[in-house]
Order: sequence, then structure tokens, then C-alpha cells
Amino acid sequence: MVETSGLATGAGGASAWERIRRRPYPFLLVAPAFLVLFLLTIYPFAYMVWISLHKWPILPTLPRIFVGVDTYAYIFGDGEFWNSVGVTSLYMALSVGLQLALGLTLALLLDARHRAFGWFRLPFMIPVFVSPVVVGLIWKFMLGYDLGIVNHLLRSIGFEGVNWLGDQTNALLSLVLVDVWQWTPFTFLILHAGLMSLPREPHEAAVIDGATAIQTFRYVTFPLLAPIFTVALLFRVLDAFKLFDIVYVLTRGGPGSATNVLAYNIWRKGFFENLLGYAAALSVIMIAVATVLALALIRIMSRQTPA
Amino acid sequence: MTHGRLTPLGLAVRLAVLTAFLLFFMFPFYWIIATSLKTQVDAFAMPPKWLFDPTLGNYAKVLLDTEFLRQTVNSLIAASANALITLALALPAAFSMSRYGTGGKDLLFWFLSIRMIPPIVGAIPLFVLAAKFRLIDTYVILPVLYIILNMPFAVWMLKSFIDEIPREIDESAMLDGCGNLAVVRRMIVPLIKPGLVATAVFCFILAWNEFLLANIFTRRVAVTLPVGISKFITEKQILWGYITAAATLATLPPVVLLWLFQRNLLRGLTFGAMR
Repeated sequence: MVETSGLATGAGGASAWERIRRRPYPFLLVAPAFLVLFLLTIYPFAYMVWISLHKWPILPTLPRIFVGVDTYAYIFGDGEFWNSVGVTSLYMALSVGLQLALGLTLALLLDARHRAFGWFRLPFMIPVFVSPVVVGLIWKFMLGYDLGIVNHLLRSIGFEGVNWLGDQTNALLSLVLVDVWQWTPFTFLILHAGLMSLPREPHEAAVIDGATAIQTFRYVTFPLLAPIFTVALLFRVLDAFKLFDIVYVLTRGGPGSATNVLAYNIWRKGFFENLLGYAAALSVIMIAVATVLALALIRIMSRQTPA
Repeated sequence: MTHGRLTPLGLAVRLAVLTAFLLFFMFPFYWIIATSLKTQVDAFAMPPKWLFDPTLGNYAKVLLDTEFLRQTVNSLIAASANALITLALALPAAFSMSRYGTGGKDLLFWFLSIRMIPPIVGAIPLFVLAAKFRLIDTYVILPVLYIILNMPFAVWMLKSFIDEIPREIDESAMLDGCGNLAVVRRMIVPLIKPGLVATAVFCFILAWNEFLLANIFTRRVAVTLPVGISKFITEKQILWGYITAAATLATLPPVVLLWLFQRNLLRGLTFGAMR
């Protein structure tokens, strides 16, 4: 164990292969996990690129026709694709923006230590650990136009009932509402823990120097909180990007294609309309975007993680 | 912003805010459980009934007349098998990465990057491959696929637990002549038992709740609970009595597990950002 510390730092510039040969055990221990995950991700990805170059019906008996990059060219000229890009972006911006703003507001409001706050941790974590299908169904039930409880409550305080799921704009906002409901407690917990872990001295110094509450937040608290805020932001952005289950249960991409987010569009093309080649090409595009987002997250987290 | 001790008034105000917030976030659960205990007539009464005679009729029907029990067993098999496989693969890897820095940050973040792949993207090629090997709708496919979802969490969680154990402990065992695997088995496993259990529970819950892949890769035999529940939405009608009862039952295991292991589960969810 004593002589192994050099390994992490590169063992004096020896090649990776040389290092593995000299001390195989650490690599043998990682190898099974790495290989299994590699086989389940990288190989299928290459295969998916291959599929995307074909017309590929889901039934193996039907012929596969090589079409090259035609599918990609078609996708970039397809209004349906750009619609789902727009819907997904709007959904991501609204839902992540709202849940972080709400979570941050609550965290700041509760910026204090007390034993009693611990009691709220468990209930706040529950929505995150409930199956998205169940979450979607709960809200489908509550958002019903005639018999849903939400409209009943609205009507009982004098408002009109809202057509939550049957109207193009409202359907997207309903998805945002559900995601905000499910994840705001979580962003609150993270940001609150982040706030609690900040050093107190800069804050006190700012107060002594006569800074207003807003100035203190803008110039002292937020910059210190920024790393954990960014991590929460990017995690939520990536999750929002993948949104599928709630759309499947709540709106099926509709009405029209108002909630036809990228993931749902791929599912519909591939497993509903049997256009696997088309769905594969969409997937390649989606993973390219996910990679850009993921690299941003990784660069930020990597800076904060000691090797 | 006080960031320190609170006055009694300050505390009361803050607890009131938290409680209001809590009620908002808990109400949907209350409403779904209440509905599951209502008769069909009470469930759709307008105005809604806040007071009603509770009945277990929906539960009896779900348990006896539907595939619910079978799907529960399927979910248990998929989630437990996956938790075991994932742990068996992730533990040696996490040990090696914690103690030898194997692969450095690159490998650590390669695992994390897998978490970023939208599952629907993997579903297309994996479906074609699984069909080729005749694995669709078998008990093998879901535990294998869920490795992709759970391995990043498992590696990061386990590594963070192993990182907390002083190196001297396994170094002394090494000096006594133990090999790497023996050190993991005799020293690390007993010491990180709570972390190991939490990681397994985390993988179990994620697999238990998973819908997208289960919906695509099962048909009839290996259907899991989330898929089964979604199928109560039929062409003709939505069976809300069944759905609310089944959803309540399906949500119980994750909530109980969360209650038992809450501290360590939060750590998994944030990839160690919160301890």
C-alpha cells in the first residue's frame, strides 16, 4: 500500500499500459464494472449510429434499407423535430428556473440552524423517491377538468376552472407544475445544506460594513453558494432534458404536439410508429446535446472534487 | 438572514413557512390515499367528500382481480437482482478508485457521465440487441439494463464511504498478508456496512420506480409495477380506484426504505455533494 501512492500521480510518466503491467490489481478490480458498463453503453451507441443510417422497421422480417445521412438531413428540415426542441427547451427553462428560484428563496428564508428543521427533511425527500409514473397519475387525477380537486378548489374561491391538460399552453405549464412540485423540496434541501456549510465571517463582515440584505446576498452569499447552486442547476437541467414518464402518463405529447418533448418524440417514432432508424437518428442528436450539457457539469464538479 | 441563533418569534415564523410548504407538497399524497379508500361514487362526488366511510374495496380488487401481485413479485426480482449485481461490480471498482486512485478523475467522471445519458436514447439500440438475443420480456433484461442507471450512483456512493475509512486500517491488513479482495471482504465491507446497505437500497428504489425501460422491454411476463399501474389507463376509461390503490401500495416500499435510510440516501442522490 505504501508504494502505491505514485500510481495516482502517474508513476513518473510511465505509459498507462506500463502501469497496468507493473501493478495489475487496481485495474483488475475496476475492470468488471468498466467492461459491463462499456458493453451496455459504448457498443450500443455505435450500433445506434449504424441503425440511424438505415430505414429500420422494428419487425426483423422487414427489409432494412441503407439511406446514409438522409434521415439527419430530413430531421433538420422537419418542423416536428424543431417543435420538440422548442417544447423541451421551454419546459427546461421554466421548470428548472422555477424550482431553483423557489428552493433558493425558501433556503434563504430559513437560513438558520435549528433542530426542528431536521424534522422536515424526510417528508421533503419523499416526492423524489416516488415513481414518476405515480407522480404523473396523482396529478392527472387532481388536474381533471370537471372532477379534479384543483379546479374544485379554484372554483370554490371564485375562479374559473382551468383546462389543465386539454389546452396547448396549459398542458406544458402543467408539466412544469408537476416537476416543480416533485423537485423543489429537493433543491431546497441541497441549497439549504449549502448555505449552512458556508463560512459566517464574510457575511458578518459585510453586515458590519453596512451592506444591505440585498447587497450581502448579491456580493457575498451568492458567490459563495454558486458552486453548489450550479451543480443543482445542471443536474436538474439534465433531468429535465430526459423528461419522459410524466409526459407519457399526463399528456401523451399532446394536445396536438404541445408537450411532444424530445424523449417522448423518440419513443413515439421508434416504438409507436415503428421507425427505428428515424428514432435512432433523433437519439444521436439528443445524446450530442446531452454530452455538451454533461461536459459542462463535469467540468464544474471536477474543479470541486479532490482527485 | 441570521445564520445563527433564532429568536422564538423567528423560529415560529420559519416553522410556519416550512409547514405551509410541507402541506402543499404533501396534499397530493393525502388526496390519492383518501381516494383509494373511497367507493367509486364517493371518489367522484362533486363537491368532493372530505369525510367519507373508508373502504378497502379498491385494495381488495387490485390485489385479487388484477396482475398486481405478480407484478409486485416481478418488481422485487428486477430491483433486488439489479441491486446485487450493481453492488458486486461497483464495490471492487470503488475500492480500487478510492485506494489506488485508479483511472483518476477521468474514470470517476466517466461513470458520472453515464448518468447523463437519457434512457430513451439507450433504449433504441438495446432493444434491437435484446430482441436478437431473445431477451425481451424476460427476467434477465431489466436487472441488466438497470446497471446503466445505477452503476454511476453506486460507484460514487461507495467510493465516498470508503474514502472515509482511514487507509491505515487496510494497510495494516495488507502488511498481515491479505490480498486486495481479502481486504475488501474482511475490512472494508464490515466497516462501510451502513453505506453498503444504503447504496443497495438506493439502487433498489431507482429500479423499483423505473418506468421507461420496463415499459419498452417487457410485454406480459416480466411486467413491473409502474408499467402495470400505467396500464389501468385504458382506451375506454381510467380506472382511478385501481390506480390510487395500486399507486399507494407501490409507493410504500420506497417511502419505508427512505424513512429507514434517509441520511445516506440523500448523499447518493447528490453524488456526494451533500453528506
